[in-house]
Amino acid sequence: MSRLPTPITLPDVTPPAGPARRRRRREAATAWAFVLPSVLVILGLSVIPVLWSLLLSFQYSDLLTPSVWVGWDNYRQLADDPQFGQAVRNTLVYTALYVPLSIGLGLFLALVLNRRIRFVGLYRTLLFVPFVVSAAAQGVLFAFILDPEFGAANSLLHRIGVSPQGFLSDPAQALLVLVGISLWSGTGFCVVIYLAALQDVPRELVEAATLDGADRRHVLRHVTLPTIAPVSVFLLLWQTITALQVFDLVYVTTKGGPLGSTTVIVYFVWEQAFRNFTAGYGAAAAYVLGAALLLIAAGTRLVRRREDRRLKGATS
Amino acid sequence: MDAVHRVRGGPSRRDVLRGGGALALTGAAGAAVAGCGTGLGVDSDGVVHIEVWHGQTSSALNVVKRLVADFHRSHPKIRIDLSGGVLADDMLQKVMAGLVAGSPPDVAYIFGSDLASVARSSQLADMTTVVESGQVPWKQYWPAARDGVTVDGVVRAVPAVLDALAVVCNKTLFHRAGLDLPAPGWTWQDFVETARKLTDRGKGTFGTGWPAAGDEDTVWRMWPMIWDLGGEVIDEDTRRIGFAGEPGIRALEVLQALAQDRSVYVDPKPGGEQMYQAFASGRLGMVATGPWQLPDIRQAEIDYHVVPLPSFSGRPVTISGPDTWSVFDNGSARLKAARTFVGWLMRPGPAYLWDTGVGSLPQSRPAERRPRWRAHAAEVPGLSVFTEALRTARVRPVDRAYPKISMPFGEAITAVLLGKSTPATALRRCADEANAAMATVR
Repeated sequence: MSRLPTPITLPDVTPPAGPARRRRRREAATAWAFVLPSVLVILGLSVIPVLWSLLLSFQYSDLLTPSVWVGWDNYRQLADDPQFGQAVRNTLVYTALYVPLSIGLGLFLALVLNRRIRFVGLYRTLLFVPFVVSAAAQGVLFAFILDPEFGAANSLLHRIGVSPQGFLSDPAQALLVLVGISLWSGTGFCVVIYLAALQDVPRELVEAATLDGADRRHVLRHVTLPTIAPVSVFLLLWQTITALQVFDLVYVTTKGGPLGSTTVIVYFVWEQAFRNFTAGYGAAAAYVLGAALLLIAAGTRLVRRREDRRLKGATS
Repeated sequence: MDAVHRVRGGPSRRDVLRGGGALALTGAAGAAVAGCGTGLGVDSDGVVHIEVWHGQTSSALNVVKRLVADFHRSHPKIRIDLSGGVLADDMLQKVMAGLVAGSPPDVAYIFGSDLASVARSSQLADMTTVVESGQVPWKQYWPAARDGVTVDGVVRAVPAVLDALAVVCNKTLFHRAGLDLPAPGWTWQDFVETARKLTDRGKGTFGTGWPAAGDEDTVWRMWPMIWDLGGEVIDEDTRRIGFAGEPGIRALEVLQALAQDRSVYVDPKPGGEQMYQAFASGRLGMVATGPWQLPDIRQAEIDYHVVPLPSFSGRPVTISGPDTWSVFDNGSARLKAARTFVGWLMRPGPAYLWDTGVGSLPQSRPAERRPRWRAHAAEVPGLSVFTEALRTARVRPVDRAYPKISMPFGEAITAVLLGKSTPATALRRCADEANAAMATVR
């Protein structure tokens, strides 16, 4: 019995004739039959709505009566709309505060919780619990705690001699308070991701650095942070997308108020579509946000690719 | 040799797929045949299935279920499906989504302020024949109930929950402050002064409260003042707001006075929930509210007194915000069944059960005169004041431009309540925004 390996031969390039071709066609049909449900779901729930809303953004539409094609008018109107301008500003301020703070705080807490301390498992769990609480529940909870007249927060401040604050009723504070509430719940996610990343930092690198005389600060600066850099980039992108899409917390706590101080882009879109019945205008605003998100994602990818190339160049 | 080893005895993958495809085709063909024969939502034995999105919770939901059970007993050929709905607060969005997708419910509970927006859909049924064939003549319904469901002269829904605004006072706080309880004919000036005297910030009590989320709950309380001062929500030319100038400014000045005295609890949360809780826990002296709030107030064992809304002129005026049962056309059989159900709800028996169960006022004068309602009103102190107020109640214009007025006015009210703007400035900004937005609607 021959044990020699059989040579690999390329299939015949001429199209198979007769039954073989039929069989292949049947195979293809079977494969399509298997993937068809998923294709239909993706087309129906993702691709078609995206294209439909793109078309909608070029129309004056209230969803119920026949729509009118208005070209770029919705986009032009957005550029001049002070309310949209305020929504964009609020979203940017929210993002600029929430993203670095949540990542920075997450890293700090992860570094603390990565050490061998008593009850560390309990602390890790407790930090993650707020992330599991839904935004709607958080909103209701904090709305009661931060009530300017009857809330627990002001009564606490009163005891330590601080004058009562308006919190969500004060246009100057409301957005900052929302950032605070989001941090309370969103930091836990960063902590968990960073904890996983920290446990992957090669021990031998840390030991080598320590042997070379690096103290904890140097190890962090030259070993830990560069190693977890990909995770940081992921978190930066993820948290930015989350922040730009914030809606539920605003919907439950302030409904964009007081005086538009917490109106963010997604809430603006909802308001245009379902309160003002100007769905085309809302779709245009949604597309502006979509384009911004796409730019951020593409920009991050570009930076990472350059970074990879630089590293490859350095090691080769 | 075949590359694929088949398991002997069992069906092949291809057989399963073929069988599944055949089953699916058979099912689709069957549905199509059924659709052709009797219409969608109709069984082969002639039973019509309709979907009702009621939007109710807790005790009101129990009333809905009881009514549906009663209806099923008397109408065996109609089955009502109460599933798949949404709470009343989010009904508009859900129904809109249904309309866009071409699958609205057969009956939905729609807020009066949203009816004009829904009425843009050609699927919203005309309910004229239903209200005119009711056991109680349509003209005997309160004007507010009739006006609240009439869009452009056509009855587009049936009144579901009828209310009126009045002021509920906490007797204990009045007694503690050494004040007499207000009486009909009092003025907004009296209201402001009473609120100031009732306020004791050291004890955490306020004269009154006002929702300040800037939504419809913030806004609709202002219209009685505006009407009393000769203003209108929409001007006669239908292209501008009808309260710019004196009516709007004087109405906002009432709120400014309350805010300056710090006698008003400004509730920033949507829905005014916290404000009602503050009243139920004895922290507010007065609250302008409707009869729906009485069950909670009674449950909190607040010793209360109900008085009609104050006015500027001394003439009684209030607002009613009736909610509606709206019917959508999903084919003749289902439309007929839905109209039958809604018409049945208007009959005296079910109407009494519904009104008393959900905290509505009686929809018609004959309903109010019935001994059963009188006995019920005698049990609930203050209910008759709300019913009496219906005689002078008006409703917001059922107009699709209304949301475009309500939103900027809500902002103006909030700005004044928070002391961020003067009435004149806030109103000017509101007028600019609302007039510009209305131009796009007309």
